[in-house]
Amino acid sequence: MKTLVIGLGNPIMTDDGAGLEVVRRLRKKLPAPDVEFIEASVGGIGLLDQIAGYDRLILIDTIRNAGGIPGQIYRLSPNDLGPTNHLCSPHDIGFKQAIKLGEKVGLEIPREIVIYAIEAQDALTFAEGCTRVVAEAVEELVRRIIAEWFDHS
Amino acid sequence: MKRVTIDPITRLEGHGKIEILLDRKGRVANAYFQVPELRGFEKFCEGRVAEEMPRIVPRICGVCPGAHHMASSKCVDDLYHVTPPPAARKLRELFYCAHIIHSHIAHFYLLAAPDFVVGPTADPGVRNVLGMIGKVGVGVVKDVMKHRGFAQDIQAAIGGKATHPVTALPGGLSKRLTEEERQAIEQKAESLITFAKFSLGLFHDVVLGESKYVDLIKSDAYALKTYYMGMVDENNKAAFYDGQVRVVTPNGEEFARFDGRDYLAHIAERVEPWTYLKFPYLKSIGWRGFDDGAESGVYRVAPLGRLNVADGMATPEAQTEYERMFDALGGKPVHATLANHWARLIELLYASERLADLSGDPDVTSDDVRTIPTQTPTEGIGVVEAPRGTLFHHYETDARGLITRVNLIVATGNNHAAICMSVREAARSVIKRGKVTEGLLNMVEMAFRAYDPCIACATHSLPGNMPLVATIRDADGIQVYRIARL
Repeated sequence: MKTLVIGLGNPIMTDDGAGLEVVRRLRKKLPAPDVEFIEASVGGIGLLDQIAGYDRLILIDTIRNAGGIPGQIYRLSPNDLGPTNHLCSPHDIGFKQAIKLGEKVGLEIPREIVIYAIEAQDALTFAEGCTRVVAEAVEELVRRIIAEWFDHS
Repeated sequence: MKRVTIDPITRLEGHGKIEILLDRKGRVANAYFQVPELRGFEKFCEGRVAEEMPRIVPRICGVCPGAHHMASSKCVDDLYHVTPPPAARKLRELFYCAHIIHSHIAHFYLLAAPDFVVGPTADPGVRNVLGMIGKVGVGVVKDVMKHRGFAQDIQAAIGGKATHPVTALPGGLSKRLTEEERQAIEQKAESLITFAKFSLGLFHDVVLGESKYVDLIKSDAYALKTYYMGMVDENNKAAFYDGQVRVVTPNGEEFARFDGRDYLAHIAERVEPWTYLKFPYLKSIGWRGFDDGAESGVYRVAPLGRLNVADGMATPEAQTEYERMFDALGGKPVHATLANHWARLIELLYASERLADLSGDPDVTSDDVRTIPTQTPTEGIGVVEAPRGTLFHHYETDARGLITRVNLIVATGNNHAAICMSVREAARSVIKRGKVTEGLLNMVEMAFRAYDPCIACATHSLPGNMPLVATIRDADGIQVYRIARL
């Protein structure tokens, strides 16, 4: 069972780097033989380049919901991602669409995909490092992921 | 008509906005395209070592990091008053061709083509690349992925990483290309040319073969008679990596031709209270509001702008297609905004041919890829043609090379006024007596998409792209329709 853990984000946009930070910490705590940890700053179709060939994919990113509470942690599946079948980004396709596309063109898309998302407080300011509430969520999410997937005791 | 105040987007919103205002008769009075603020880039850069900038600026944009990397690399060359060796220049251009190729392939097949292949009024559920599979077959889409992948591989081989390149340093590059890597690129080049020609063929069949689409392209709703700007080489052929910046009038005559370093003498920026992205315009003509024509300083960049500005393409097959387009659309300049999609494919072909030429050049495997700077840095300006238009980077440092000031004019910024105008004109033609439907609103979005605008796409929060909300308000400012793609 080959697992890929990808942290997504932009490291210079404050809370947008939370996913990257989670993966950095997981990597330090969990050297594991069949697990690969990657930090990536891509979305949509760019992700397909990274995920093909793994059995399980754990994706960690930030999210902004209307009325969302900063620091809140969500556990999602691709089906939970809204119906973004229509092209809302000027450049790219949504993750869900990218997965479907990958399947249609015969890429080996992971059978199991879990997405963790942290509600951002500020992802529009250029700065390194997360806000306090998101930094706390990063710590919490690291604990949760280890407990759910990597705690074999 | 009631005065409606358009508030700037709050920092919490984080999405792009299109606001369309109707008059009392339900006709479109005005349209505004608002961009949320990315805050503090200059502050963030202050005190940074200038040679880090080529590695920092790719993070501004999740889609054209290669363009920022290249503009920044030329900027730091200028800052340190150093000239890279010829091999470095060629290798950078080789990388950059791959960047243009990957970007244009992605845009055409993921964004532009579905509108035409599946149809502009088709259900959003199928008006995307997945819906295309039904129309053109999975083989075509597999080819799209394959060739996009080639371009990514080439960028990774030269740039260090596929998406966020790290190789450029003041005076050149940090890594040379091995003969093995060069051969791998050369092998991909022919296939890329073939694929570019196939893409143009597809465009001819699917788009130009349908009279309703040709009418759409030629319609007034999608035309603006603006000035145009783009980079050209010494023979006035379209150039992406290096050259002079050229501007032509709405009648196609040369208006200005300048070195990127002199941009401030030619371009001024207008601030409007309702959006954070400024509006560049031609300084000597002046700002006359959101209007086209020779009296207005509004200009357009990106594929159509570049081809209008250039006297031709520097490679033979792209040149043939260039002539074909202008013959079909009634000569130069072409004002039809949707012709950007056609021009983009011609550029795809040029970039592929140029990539083939450069990959066969023995210079690109030279190990002399860096000139170490020896002079004290002061100020530098670097200009390239990003996929979406002319991109200006301008840095000032202290004597130690620490950044004191940064100014950027990003590619889409040049088009900002034109985007507002195109949205307005498209909306005017399809929204009558206040009647709006999903399909009609997509005609507005088609205008927007033709520019392939790069709006604040530095964030990667789920779903990994910049969301957009379009709102229509009646003459009392009451919202009558809202489409949110969040």
